[in-house]
Amino acid sequence: MPLWFVRGLRRGVVTTRYPARPDDSAAWLPRPPAFRSWQLTREAADRMVAVCPGPALSRRDDTLVFDVGACTACGRCAEAAPDAVAPSGEFELATTSRSALIKDIPIRGGGR
Amino acid sequence: MNPLDLVYVAGGAWLAAALAGLLAGSRRPGLLTCCAVSALGGAAAVAGGGWSLVYGNTPVVAPGGEAQTITGGPLELQMTSLAGVFVAVLGIVAVAIAWYAPRYHQPGRGTAVYLAVGNLALLACLAVLAAGGMITFLVAWETMSLACYLIILRHPRSGDSARGAFWFLALSEIGFLLVVAAFVILSTKTHATELDPMAARAHLIGGGWRAAAYLLALTGFGFKAGLVPLHVWLPEAHPVAPADGSAFLSGVVVKLGAYGIALFAFRLDPVGGTWPGLVTMGAGALTAAIGILYAMAERDIKRFLAYSTIENMGIIVTAFGAAMVFGAYRLSALSAFLLIAGLYHVANHGCYKTLLFLEAGVVEHAAGTRDMDRLGGLVHRLPRSAVVAFVGTLGIAALPPLNGFVSEWLIFQGLFQGFRTGSHLTAILIVLAAATLGLTGGLAIYAFVRGFGIPYLGMPRTRQAADARERGQPVAGPALLAVACVALAVGAPVVLAALSRAARTVTGTSLGPLLLPGKLTVLPAHADFSAFSPTYLAVFLVAACAVPALVYLAGRPRAASASVPVWDSGMVSFRPRMQYSAMTFSAPTRVTFDALYRPAVSVHRASDDDPAGRSGPVHYEAQVTPVFERYMYRPVIRAVEWLADAIRPLQSGDVNVYLLYVFLVILLAYLLGAV
Amino acid sequence: MNPSQDEAEVARRLRDTIAGQFGRSLHIRTLDTGSCAVCEQEIRLLAAPHYDLHRLGFFFTPAPRHADLLLVTGPMIRAFDVAARKTYEAMPGPKVVVATGACALGGVYPKDPFVHGNVGALLPVDVWIPGCPPSPLALLYGLSVAVGRLAEKAPGLTFIADGDGGGA
Repeated sequence: MPLWFVRGLRRGVVTTRYPARPDDSAAWLPRPPAFRSWQLTREAADRMVAVCPGPALSRRDDTLVFDVGACTACGRCAEAAPDAVAPSGEFELATTSRSALIKDIPIRGGGR
Repeated sequence: MNPLDLVYVAGGAWLAAALAGLLAGSRRPGLLTCCAVSALGGAAAVAGGGWSLVYGNTPVVAPGGEAQTITGGPLELQMTSLAGVFVAVLGIVAVAIAWYAPRYHQPGRGTAVYLAVGNLALLACLAVLAAGGMITFLVAWETMSLACYLIILRHPRSGDSARGAFWFLALSEIGFLLVVAAFVILSTKTHATELDPMAARAHLIGGGWRAAAYLLALTGFGFKAGLVPLHVWLPEAHPVAPADGSAFLSGVVVKLGAYGIALFAFRLDPVGGTWPGLVTMGAGALTAAIGILYAMAERDIKRFLAYSTIENMGIIVTAFGAAMVFGAYRLSALSAFLLIAGLYHVANHGCYKTLLFLEAGVVEHAAGTRDMDRLGGLVHRLPRSAVVAFVGTLGIAALPPLNGFVSEWLIFQGLFQGFRTGSHLTAILIVLAAATLGLTGGLAIYAFVRGFGIPYLGMPRTRQAADARERGQPVAGPALLAVACVALAVGAPVVLAALSRAARTVTGTSLGPLLLPGKLTVLPAHADFSAFSPTYLAVFLVAACAVPALVYLAGRPRAASASVPVWDSGMVSFRPRMQYSAMTFSAPTRVTFDALYRPAVSVHRASDDDPAGRSGPVHYEAQVTPVFERYMYRPVIRAVEWLADAIRPLQSGDVNVYLLYVFLVILLAYLLGAV
Repeated sequence: MNPSQDEAEVARRLRDTIAGQFGRSLHIRTLDTGSCAVCEQEIRLLAAPHYDLHRLGFFFTPAPRHADLLLVTGPMIRAFDVAARKTYEAMPGPKVVVATGACALGGVYPKDPFVHGNVGALLPVDVWIPGCPPSPLALLYGLSVAVGRLAEKAPGLTFIADGDGGGA
């Protein structure tokens, strides 16, 4: 019997069951951030907008406009304002409408 | 009333057409009259040839009594079954050419002379085929050669015309010399000049003389038939002749070479022993393979078709050779079968090769060029011609259900039965011949996919090809030949029945139920080997095409469909030059067989000259080495020239030396007389 | 921001139509309009044994004539306009266009003069898959959304992490 067949029997099935069942490796993937609106100040927002390398973050009055589609998960906004950013844990982001990926995050942290 | 009467009608019509052409061919009505009369002659020839297949040999007739003609011998005519097929082919080719000529040629003095000479050539070919005596045969043969020389030389001032015509004439004359020698041997040994007595007394000649006569005949007629290495005139002469002239050469004249070989092999000089048949078969197989290989390297459509003619003549001669081999082993059924197969291939080739040459002429007139690499997309611009040419291509590529497939199947089935000879060596040699023909068949399909696909399909590669128009181009003549091809395929049982009657006359063997057991099935001379029905195959293939058509009609989408361009990998500008060219399409074959082609390649890269090595245009030139001309004919030509130079001092121009010659000759005559 | 009602309606009808046509067999043609090729690596990984898109009935094909779905990566450089258009038109309908990767969604080169910025400027995109690069799992999810096998989650996500996490 070929060696690989024996090895395969020992190792078992390696194919993921996704999307029928969740996959463990999803935990290791870089994901877009989620924001803590109560810790988000205008200054922090401006800092994050300045440091974001793409058009993913912009500020409109008291709203942080976050374009999930434009986010490359580089993590610079998390470095700039660590209190306001948390991992979102979402990677199933496909959508049929582009506008559904543009999220409004209210800035509730007050100015400073 | 016998077939010879129809031959008289045909001959008379062609003579009348020649006169009409000469006198009135400068004007359009005269041109049409000449062609109409010529077509009538052709129809009579078809009828006469077909009838003579079933009638048998007519008695020898000497019109004009025993009066000596200016050539020193009586005119003797006889219509034989063997010649019947060739006369029928001559007839149908004549009809097609006559229908084609009015739209192809412009009325004028040159055309008038050309038509006269053309009809004279038809008459001469008829006389060769209907010759009952040696003198008639030889005179008619030489007349035909000279007439063909004038046909090839239609446009004497254009480029290679003189060269091509000269090659034809030179090789024709050498062949004629050898044929005369063969006939002289036979007639002096049998003390007869008529062909029937020669045939009857052939067994009285000693073996050595018979062998010599046959070899002389094989070589002499091989010059005309285009057997390798005697073929070099074909690719030189065909391109320079006008299209109907090339069609006549390939459709009829080279067949006369095959007729001559068959005449000597089966009627006049059936030599005992297997070696003549094996030599003939080997020559044929070699010719077929080399012919198609050279065809793959040609860009000029007419040179390509000329080499294809060489290939098909090789196939015919292989069939005749194998028939001789089987005859030597007393397997008379197989011998007759292969003779039938060879004759069938003669008829088929006469139809589709003529058709293809006529279409090549149409293409040349419409697009202004014969170079495949400057054509393309003609199927949209010359639709009817493209359909007709496609039928011819299917025939010559031996694809079912057309006629080429039937005749090649017959030849292969005959060759596959080589094991019945009982001799191992012979069986192996026959298998080798069959294998060579198999290679040839495969290469022929490849070659004709190229020969039809590159000029007709795809996109036009030049503006000339894009501007080609079908208005005013002859369509009816080639279309008649296309119909003939289909008829020869579907009506194969009828044709085979007639040919088997002819074979009975020639070889004395009756095949009957061993060939055609029922109405529609064909057997290869043995009931336990294989079977095939051309009619059923044709019907089945047509019906099989109906199935996808029905599926499409039943299931086609009801939504609107969009028409979008061909997917070209998203290129920004697709230029027609990016398509396959004729030479790149045949590149795999040329690389595989480069020992035969010995290409002389020169490559020059712009980056070679540039000190910085920047890339630029690459110039690539490859030339196929003309092996036979360079290594066989050039040395002979040079030897003859050297000999002529050596003898030249004899003609010093000095009267005193000439007087000395006269004195020496008289002295010699006196001494010989005294002794 | 949630999609408007008519957008959602159109999306649902599209999904139903496509799901009806494609069933469990979808042929995907990938198109690289100038990406850095990392998206391509993730796409290629889909055929590996661990992710194995064949078990879901998805297949790759190089010929647009045989393709049902066009998977586009890259910011759609202007020099590629003709080829992209020709590829799209060579696909017989019904067809779906999926743009994947941050470049294709307009996130990386929004103002570069040599690119359009996002694929939607040239082709009518049906499904957008974010990520840089999108992992094979995200791609599998996106393809399943494209054929209507899974419902999309993104409209319902807020990315506001007050309290428990980034969920709705």
